[in-house]
Amino acid sequence: MSELTLPDNGVDARSSSVSAAEAASNGARAVRLEATNLEGSFLGKTVAPKKFASGAESGFAFADLLFGLDLGNAPAFGFAYPDWRGHLDDVFFHPDVSTQIEWEPGLDAVIGDYWLKDGTPVPLCPRNLTRKLTDRLASLGFTATVAVEIEATVFEESIQEARARGYRGLTPLGGSAGTAYHLAKSKDWYGYMNAVADRLDAVGIEWEAWSDEDAAGQIEINLAPGDPVKVCDSWARTRQIMREVAFERGHTVTFMAKPTEGYGQASHINISLQRDGANVFYAEEGPSEAMRHAVGGLLATIEGNTSIVLPQITSYRRLVDLSGPPVTASWGISNKTTAIRAVCGHPSYSRLEYRVPGADANLYLALAGVLAGVIAGLERKIEPPDPVSEMAWCMPPGVGVERLPDTITKAAAALEADPILRELLGAEFVDYWVGSRRWEWMQFHTAGGDPFAELSEWESARYFELP
Amino acid sequence: MTETTTAPAVSGADAAGEVDVRIEEDATPIVRLLGRTLRDSARTGHALAALRKPTATVAIRSHDTPQAATITFGSGVVEVAGGVLVDPDATLTVDLNARFAPAAAPEGDADLAADVLLALAPPIPDWQAAAEHFWTAARAVPGIPDVLIAVTEGADGIEQVVLGEGTTHYLIAGAPETLAGVFSGTDDMLAVLSSGALGLQGTLSQLSVLIGASWKVRYDV
Repeated sequence: MSELTLPDNGVDARSSSVSAAEAASNGARAVRLEATNLEGSFLGKTVAPKKFASGAESGFAFADLLFGLDLGNAPAFGFAYPDWRGHLDDVFFHPDVSTQIEWEPGLDAVIGDYWLKDGTPVPLCPRNLTRKLTDRLASLGFTATVAVEIEATVFEESIQEARARGYRGLTPLGGSAGTAYHLAKSKDWYGYMNAVADRLDAVGIEWEAWSDEDAAGQIEINLAPGDPVKVCDSWARTRQIMREVAFERGHTVTFMAKPTEGYGQASHINISLQRDGANVFYAEEGPSEAMRHAVGGLLATIEGNTSIVLPQITSYRRLVDLSGPPVTASWGISNKTTAIRAVCGHPSYSRLEYRVPGADANLYLALAGVLAGVIAGLERKIEPPDPVSEMAWCMPPGVGVERLPDTITKAAAALEADPILRELLGAEFVDYWVGSRRWEWMQFHTAGGDPFAELSEWESARYFELP
Repeated sequence: MTETTTAPAVSGADAAGEVDVRIEEDATPIVRLLGRTLRDSARTGHALAALRKPTATVAIRSHDTPQAATITFGSGVVEVAGGVLVDPDATLTVDLNARFAPAAAPEGDADLAADVLLALAPPIPDWQAAAEHFWTAARAVPGIPDVLIAVTEGADGIEQVVLGEGTTHYLIAGAPETLAGVFSGTDDMLAVLSSGALGLQGTLSQLSVLIGASWKVRYDV
């Protein structure tokens, strides 16, 4: 297993080596340090140029609580912490200067990841995990090209108004027409989307398309395919931009898995594998051997991975037959009712679409889980069952297609019991994640959530603005 | 969570006191809390007449959260399920963090409500026995300290129970009734800790693990 460590020769093996000169902030008044926590919230702090230059190599101290607080800002209890989590001790943010951009005039932004005092990566750091799995795939001779569909819902009201209303009863931006791809949207909707696209262009994030989505106020933005870590970085920044633009224009945007009692929203991951420049998922007739094995690995890990890609209580409210999301551990060719859709027969476009993740998933972790499944399939040559050619919703028991775990506790139990994900993602991550999901379950039930509501006030308060 | 209430019931660990207490699959904390409490009553022979009611349905609602559950009695079989999806014979609104203390007058059959409240109040063991019970449930939890030391000030001065052997220690101090409540699962450890009634000596990680262990005795998870 590839591990990221600091070599003894003093050469920094982190995301990107830096020098004091490179660390200079090019005249900016400040530099914002950025990374996600486990939940997928984009966290960081803003430092002065002099501080940035002095800390770019040694790292910037952050309290380990950034991996220990839940979305209600309470410490998560109920499970063992790793040794490095002491008593609010420091972990160190190391900037990846290849990600440094001008965020706005006078403010640079740089994404990084978290390391321990001893020079080893924080095993829980989502970006470290994505890179670890990408490196492991590379050791097999493959590179992955991935893409993500970002779904969100935009409301007319300002964030202050939304907060005052408990994030409920808000007005969908662009009207209440509930059909996808609707073009006759009001000008405020186009104003928001164009402003987001302009900001993406300004910071160099390549987007391919945006459109109206199924639910009222719901939108989808497609980022250009690319390297896993880079796509995750773009995902995190795109969501930040979508929030900032909403705030600036007096609107509100949310990435909740189900922000209203209507449709949920997803975060589908598309992946293809390349070797020597060729797409190894391509075969003239149907899926290639590599694609079959990737599907086999993804299905072998799909129950455990459900915990990672459906991280919150509300995530599971999406899993409704006939409403769009997959509900079964299934795959099919050109079959969007299954959990894994295979797109076959094209030298460039042959790919797998992993359709389980909710919009509330942390893409770094979701992608690490998907890559783990793909790697397991390739390494162990796991053959998948026959593809599902019928509709994979409303399937009766006994037809050989199991349903996905449909609660946060069932999914956590599946992850805890998954030997493949434990090996590839690391026992420390798996145990910590499972413990934190049980804490979330306990908080939901004992602190105000209502399992029998379509969407409880507790969920709106906890998940609307975060992650 | 969207647990089904129609899933096959999970049988209790045993038909304690000839009363079989069952909870549904993937049960919520309130269902687990009720199931564990009723099982304690059955095991100790407490309120057996109430537990063996021929037929009755009682709703239990939290006074400050949406938590709710339904207890169905049927001649020695007691089933606990999440939510209230039937018209109950009685409804109790209680404080789940105050040993099911009624927060409002019961609705419906008052005698039935009184019987159920009695069944939800099994005898609490003394603090030493409760600590040993806690340790039996907790010692296999990953990350649990090697040694648990429970300390209290009794009539004869400082008393302590030392459970386990090894190098990592965790000390919990409190009044005898406080320790008994926490170690038996009757009271929520985090809530009691927040009230200032417990003193702790150990690491943050050990506290986290002990809270997980307290869920085992309180919720049987």
